[in-house]
Parts: sequence; C-alpha cells; structure tokens
Amino acid sequence: MYQLSGVTKRYRRGKDTVQALDGVDLTIEDGGRLVIQGPTGGGKSTLLQMLGGLDRPTEGSVVLDGTDLATLPEARLTRVRAEEIGFVFQSFNLIPTLTAQENVETALVPLGLKAAERRERAADALASVGLGERHGHLPGELSGGQQQRVAIARALVKRPAVLLADEPTGNLDESMRDEIMELLEGLWQEHTLTFVMVTHDSALARRAPRLAVIRKGRVTITERAAGAA
Amino acid sequence: MFFTYLRRELRRRRKAALVVASGLALGIALVIVVNSVSSGMNRAQDKVLESLYGLGTDMTVTKAATPPGAGDTSRRPRFEFDAKDSDDDSEQSSDLVMVEGFETLAFSTVAQVGKQDGVADAVGGLSVRVMKVNGQFKQGEIEPGQKPGQGGPGGGTDGGGAVRGGGAAFDVDSYTVYGTDVAHQGLGPLTSSKITSGRTFKTTETSAKVAVVDSAYAKEKSLTVGKTLTISGAKYTVVGVATADSGDAAANVYLPLAQAQTLAGAKDKVTTVYVQATDSQRIDGVKQAIQRNISGTTVTTSADLADTVSGSLSTASDLAAGVGKWLSYVVLAAAFLVAGLLTSAAVSRRVREFGTLKALGWRSGRVTRQVAGEALVNGLVGGVLGIGIGLAGAWVITAFSPTLTAQLGGSGGGAGGGRVLGAGGGEGGPARQAASRALDIALTAPVSLTTIGLAVALAVAGGLVAGGFGGWRASRLRPADALRRVE
Repeated sequence: MYQLSGVTKRYRRGKDTVQALDGVDLTIEDGGRLVIQGPTGGGKSTLLQMLGGLDRPTEGSVVLDGTDLATLPEARLTRVRAEEIGFVFQSFNLIPTLTAQENVETALVPLGLKAAERRERAADALASVGLGERHGHLPGELSGGQQQRVAIARALVKRPAVLLADEPTGNLDESMRDEIMELLEGLWQEHTLTFVMVTHDSALARRAPRLAVIRKGRVTITERAAGAA
Repeated sequence: MFFTYLRRELRRRRKAALVVASGLALGIALVIVVNSVSSGMNRAQDKVLESLYGLGTDMTVTKAATPPGAGDTSRRPRFEFDAKDSDDDSEQSSDLVMVEGFETLAFSTVAQVGKQDGVADAVGGLSVRVMKVNGQFKQGEIEPGQKPGQGGPGGGTDGGGAVRGGGAAFDVDSYTVYGTDVAHQGLGPLTSSKITSGRTFKTTETSAKVAVVDSAYAKEKSLTVGKTLTISGAKYTVVGVATADSGDAAANVYLPLAQAQTLAGAKDKVTTVYVQATDSQRIDGVKQAIQRNISGTTVTTSADLADTVSGSLSTASDLAAGVGKWLSYVVLAAAFLVAGLLTSAAVSRRVREFGTLKALGWRSGRVTRQVAGEALVNGLVGGVLGIGIGLAGAWVITAFSPTLTAQLGGSGGGAGGGRVLGAGGGEGGPARQAASRALDIALTAPVSLTTIGLAVALAVAGGLVAGGFGGWRASRLRPADALRRVE
C-alpha cells in the first residue's frame, strides 16, 4: 500500500524554481488501480517517479508497504525498484541491440537469477503477452504494439507488487491502444497488482475506478462506483 | 547478459568503436615503432662500441694525455734513408713501428686496476701503428752548357752545368697491430671479431711469432692461414683470419702482446687496460676508484664513448629519444583523451537506455561496469590493431634497414679519448687523439616482449581511461533525470 503525505517536489530550472508537486496526500491500496490525468507539465510524471522511487520528494514522504522511499538509502531504493516495481514507458524504452527475450531478461539481472532461470521466466513472460514466437526479434523488427508488449513482459517478469505505466498507449494507434489496455487490465487482475497509470487519454481515464487529476502540482481524487466504467 | 549486451552494443556502434580503437591503435603503434627504433639505435650503438672495445668490456684505462713539450720531436714519425751512389737504383724501405698515440702505461697497471674494488677482470693490450715507407731516390742528371740557376726541380747546379730531374718516389703503407694478452682473451678488441679461418691464439703462445689478421686486411694483402707476414723484418705465421662482427675491425693484425711490445720497443708497456666490472650498475663507482687510486690514468666508460658517437646514427638516436618519444606520448595522450570523450559522448546518447536500466533496478556499479567493459574491449581492439600496425612498421624498418653512419672519436676531447685504432691503413700521422673512424650500421627495429607488454598495458589503460570517463558519467545519471531528458 502506498501512503503519500505532503509530497512536494521543486526543481531548479536555470534561475527559476519549478514546483512540480505541491503537498500531495494520496493513498493507494494494495491491488488498487489509479489513473493519473492532467495537463502537460502538471506534475503527472513527477508523481509517478515518486511512486516508483526514481526520484525523491523535496518534502514529504512516500511510504510503500511501510518503507519510506523518500529517505531510503540509494542501494535499498534500487533494490525496491528491482523487486517490487515494474515500469512501462510511453516510448517503450527497450534496448535496441537486445532481442525481445534479452530485453525481458534485463529486468531479472538485478535479482541475480541464473541464466537458465532468467531465460525460462522471460520466455514465459513473453508468451503471456502473446509474443512467444517473436522472442528472437530485435525491437526494430517489431511493431509499436509488439514493442509495448515486450515492455509489459519486462515489467511483469520480476513478479512485482506494483505496476507503474507512464502513457503506455501514447505512441500507439487506437486499436493497438485498446489491445494494450485490455492486456494491462487483464494482467492487473490476474496478478493482483497495484496499478498506477498516467494518461492524457480521457477514454482510458474513464475506465479506471479511481482517477487522480493533477493540476499545478495539486491532486484531486475522483472515486467511481464499481462497474461505472 | 554482460557479454551479450557488450557484444551487441559494440556491433551496433561499429563506426564509433572503430574510431576509438583506431585512435588508440595509432598511439600504440607509434609507441611500438619508436620503442623498437630506439632499441635498434641502442643495438647499433652497442655494436659500434663493441667494435671498439670488444664484448664484455665496461671501460678502458689509458694514460692521461700530456701536452707535448717545446721542441719535442719524439711524437712525430721520422724516417731516415741513406744516400746512395748515382748508379744504385735499388729501392729503399723503412718500417716504423710506433705505439699508437705514443702514450703507454706500465704493464703493472693492469694488475693494479684488477685489484680495484668492483673490477671483475682487467686485461692489457698494446695498440701499435706500423708505417712502411718503400721507394727510391732518383739522381738528378747534369746537363752541360746550362747556366747556373736553371736546374730542374730537385736538381742542383755545379760549376760545369745544371742538374736536371731527380727526386724521390715512395709509397707509404700504414696499418695497425694490436698486441693481445693471449692468456686472457676474454676481453679486448679481438672479442668483437669471429675467427672465420684457422684459429685464435693459444694461451701458451705468449711469445710465439704468430698472427691473426683481419679478414679485410687479409684479402687486401692476400694473406691466408699458413702464410707469413713480415713486420719490421720480423716474420709471423698467420694462424687465423678474424672477421669483425660489425663495421671495421679494431686492428689489421693481432699479435701476442709480447711480440707487439718488442716490435714497438715498448717492453712491459700497454696502451689500454680493458676492464670488466662485477656489476654494470657500479661502473661509475669503479671509474672513480680507478682514477682516484691510479694516478695519471684516464678511464673511459661505454657511456663516455657513446657520447662521442656522432653522425646520422647519433642524430637518429637523438630524434628517436627526443621527438619520437614525445610525439608518441602526445599522440597516445590525445588518443586516450579522444577515446574518453567519445565514450562519454556515447553515454550522453544513451541516457534513456541507462536510465531505463536503473529504473529496472540495475545498480550504478553494474551500469558503469557495462560502459567500462565496452571501452575496455575498444581499447583491446585498438591494442591489437596498434600492435599489428606497430609490428608492421618495425618490420618495414628492419626490411629496409636504412644505413646509419656512426662517426667515432675524431675530436679526442670530451670523453677522455677512447683510444681507437683506425684500421684500414689511414695515412694520416698518428695523433694523441682518438682516431676518427666512421662505421656504417644497418638500423633494425627489434620488437621485444617488453614492448608488446607495454602496448597491451597501454591498450588496457586506454580502455580504462575511456571507460572511466564514460562510467563516471553513467554512474552520475539519476534514473528520473535520464528518463525526463527524453520526454
């Protein structure tokens, strides 16, 4: 479970100070699903980075299952990312020189698994996203939707507790968008993940049971009744 | 995963990798070539010095130079011929046997030197120059009726007419003889020659009338083993022919020391003591000890003598040691810098990649190792290329073997005048100074295992420097910054 209290993030940009987050208080239950929406530069991605331990708040705390990520030493924070959190990015962020299988395996490297086990788990993860046959292909040989599937397999292969997705369909066409969303929702349910997604897409936002709208660093939560989506 | 990732990245960025590797290769190749050429120069200089000293000699001891006194004519060769009758047209001949440089040390000096601390062995030798003047005088002829004062050159006048014609025609043959201590043949000039026919002296031949002749001189004078060589009326049986390992031989003829002393009228005298030190690191100390304890001597070490080497060998050697060395260092430093900057630039282009890996839980150290590993492989590829180019360069130099000339001695100054015999029969009058002598040496560029080891070390160092630059940048990347930068 996430508990964010008074999370504030300020950046220095030249001589100016930019306040990306302004005293955000937020709770996300285990297995919960939250969509974050808001205008560009509103602080969506910054909030996601706080949740993922990729950045630390200037003030406040980001507690995940009792551990404050804001004050955790770098090595332990890296460990939390390696074991607990899966990321899916808008631009897929696959390593262009590695095959689909090897890209998925990169998420298992920090866990210190043996090569054979890495290969087996990566193959299973690729099969679970429908790309079992394409394991030997380089990202450049795959479509955008297929690349995002590989990225999703990479995020889930470590069996994380949390899946964070930053505009996962932002680079995809509509049909591919729906396909990826169905896949993500299916996996969320199957693995009982805590799933947080940033999106610009109102159609996707409407599908979420809980919506966080962020403007000028401040968050407004909207709860929807079950089945409203 | 480390090697798979490394291999794929290097293959993907082949051109950038090749640029980095080529830069390092150029620097490493230059280091190899300059090192091997320097090594070849040293070898050439060693050959030059060996030809003077012989193998194993660390220094020579000679008598300190003393300026000739006023009216001192003993230092000039003097020939005396008798007047002949007018009808005697027979040739006149005179052999003059002189101690080279006219300065000698007592034979007991050899033992004195041998007793000095740090001296392993000391052997005396006598350098002698033989000048043979051979020819005849021609009488002038009296032509009656000529007025006095109209005589031809060389002629004279008398009361009855003028003398025409007349004069002298003499050939001068000059060659060198070295009196060697046959009981101690391990040191001295003869060690720089190989016996190519016959044999060398036996240790028992201390007073035997035997000679070993240099092959070039033997060819010129048609001397072979078993023939007889006459020096100043004394006959010597040629028992061996010696060929100098490089350049000219130290002397034309080698005799047992006692025979050379007798010929030159220098009983119990030597011109040079050849000294071998117990430890090559102690040569300067031994030199000081000899000069301090045995007065009136000049000690010349190999280093002193090397300083007197001039000519293209010296120029090339200076170039290799100076410009070549610094050029290779500068190129290498530039190659390291370029490799580092290119690797660093490559990290800049891959911030999203490294940011993603950090987001996936890769530690900074692992990312740094990946970057450093790639740079190290680049360095090693550069090293292999550099070694290949360097070996090819060294091979080309050795194949073409450019000839360098070493000018030895001549000035007789600086180093105390290593007393060098000018083999080959120069006609110049003997001088106190070391005789000027030119040697042609073919330059080679031997590549030692040490040089290869140095090249490998430089390749690794280049890779590590480049990896250090890149790794440092990669380690400082914060995943959020890395991902934010491409948004």
